[in-house]
Amino acid sequence: MATLLRGLLRPLCAFQGNPGSSTGKRRGRGKESRGRVPLRAVSHGAGLLYPEHIPTSPLQKLLLAAGSAGMALYDPYRHDMVAVLGETTGHRTLKVLRDQMKRDPEGAQILQERPRISLSTLDMDKLRGLPEGSFGCAYLRFLDVNRVSPDTRAPTRFVDDEELAYVIQRYREIHDMLHTLLGMPTNILGEIVVKWFEAVQTGLPMCILSALFGPIQLSAQSLRLLISELIPWAVENGRRAPCVLNVYYERRWEQPLQALRQELGITEPPLRVEGLV
Amino acid sequence: MAALGSWALWSSCSRGRSRAVLGCRLPGLRSSSPRSPLGARLLSQEKEATETHFGFETVSEEEKGGKVYQVFESVAKKYDVMNDMMSLGIHRVWKDLLLWKMRPFPGTQLLDVAGGTGDIAFRFLNYVQAQHQRKQKKQLRAQQNLSWEEIARKYQNEEDSLGGSRVMVCDINKEMLKIGKQKAHAQGYKAGLAWILGDAEELPFDDDKFDVYTIAFGIRNVTHIDQALREAHRVLKPGGRFLCLEFSQVNNPLVSRLYDVYSFQVIPVLGEVIAGDWKSYQYLVESIRQFPSQEEFKEMIEDAGFQKVTYENLTSGIVAIHSGFKL
Repeated sequence: MATLLRGLLRPLCAFQGNPGSSTGKRRGRGKESRGRVPLRAVSHGAGLLYPEHIPTSPLQKLLLAAGSAGMALYDPYRHDMVAVLGETTGHRTLKVLRDQMKRDPEGAQILQERPRISLSTLDMDKLRGLPEGSFGCAYLRFLDVNRVSPDTRAPTRFVDDEELAYVIQRYREIHDMLHTLLGMPTNILGEIVVKWFEAVQTGLPMCILSALFGPIQLSAQSLRLLISELIPWAVENGRRAPCVLNVYYERRWEQPLQALRQELGITEPPLRVEGLV
Repeated sequence: MAALGSWALWSSCSRGRSRAVLGCRLPGLRSSSPRSPLGARLLSQEKEATETHFGFETVSEEEKGGKVYQVFESVAKKYDVMNDMMSLGIHRVWKDLLLWKMRPFPGTQLLDVAGGTGDIAFRFLNYVQAQHQRKQKKQLRAQQNLSWEEIARKYQNEEDSLGGSRVMVCDINKEMLKIGKQKAHAQGYKAGLAWILGDAEELPFDDDKFDVYTIAFGIRNVTHIDQALREAHRVLKPGGRFLCLEFSQVNNPLVSRLYDVYSFQVIPVLGEVIAGDWKSYQYLVESIRQFPSQEEFKEMIEDAGFQKVTYENLTSGIVAIHSGFKL
């Protein structure tokens, strides 16, 4: 019993010498000394800005960025690594994007209302009942043909600002919408084209890196197609279109796909990229 | 006794305060503020009885077992890869040193608790097999004039290459045992090996059964360490040996500083990049800090009834091997 007590009390004694604690009660002390204390003490309840938040030190962010970049190249199926790369490298760019959103009326509304796209928030029956040619119908067909679901997006964890965490979450969740608008499937070629579009649009370092290094795994023929036709088309559309984060997609389900494309200045793809199956 | 009864009533009164006011029959106690010495002491007693640490978090004891189970369930597949990455392969040396210290001979019955993926068990089997082969070679060399019948009998009796040694791998986690069985199958270990699902605090074995009990990097995850130690004492034969390989307190201040930085900055990142699991590896490094020091653990082992308890630091105390005998 005495040894058990000692075992339980020892961590408290350790924290007396080292300010900062793990329990939520001593939240004040934890926050003010966060500069000195290793972030271990802060990662449980006390310093979280949003539910999934994992606070990280600059060294950890550097290691994460390097590690996730390497792992994403090594194993292209690790989509979580691409997400982590985006979170750890995108802080400055996210601020620019957030300010862009604030200046636009529709974007500001999105920032305020914080809509989320997942199977629970989408009204699937309503979407299915929409007329042929509408944006909602096209989106649903995209999800069916490529057998993807809006629920596979990992939540943001390593962004140390709650609003920016929402911005990057929103960017991830509209990724499928961009696929629909650009008419690209979810195979490697399609993904790279969408990444080029996103890189020009958002300027996120992760998009730029994926756009530059993604084509490494492609065959020579696909690479030729990519460089000669698809990339110029994606870049041109990316430059011409207004910020895609400013579009409130959830209010545009009934809008015809062509009309939405025209509004954003997106033209038809130069050649048809075959989808899965 | 009366104090205990009134404590129970006081605690139930305080908990039921938010619900409808049931007649709390001891107005004296109800009105006493928690700052009174009696109240404060009772509060802290209640807290110690049901709460424990999970890394740097505080959880109830019932929760801890489940949470630890989830951690190991999720890390099982990448467990060995991560061990190599995090310790830069040094964990293999530590485990070899544990076997070296054990010096089993053919015929030893080993119980490896929290043995999950089988690292200690496989090393044990290799060791006793090598020992047995060496013994047999020595025997053959000593006997130069064997008759035909004796030689034939020697070849026929070659079934038991382990000389009677057996190892039971016991683990509370099904995923870890699954990985261990797959490894055994892949590496060709069949004889003398058994896989048991069991809780270190309540081992499914009779008293006085094993010659050696080992627990490598497992005891810090047990909710009631003293209970596990008592169980170890129970299942060992008189003369049996208890061996524990576990992370411990570093004794060198420079190494300690580097080790801290490495543990908290690098290891969770490795966990996220390689295994896609930050939180489990955060728990790992925190649970290491929560484990008692070498001396304290030695006292705990002595409390459980072991004698001649010693410990040996490896790598400046990052890891320690504690050893005790049931006499």
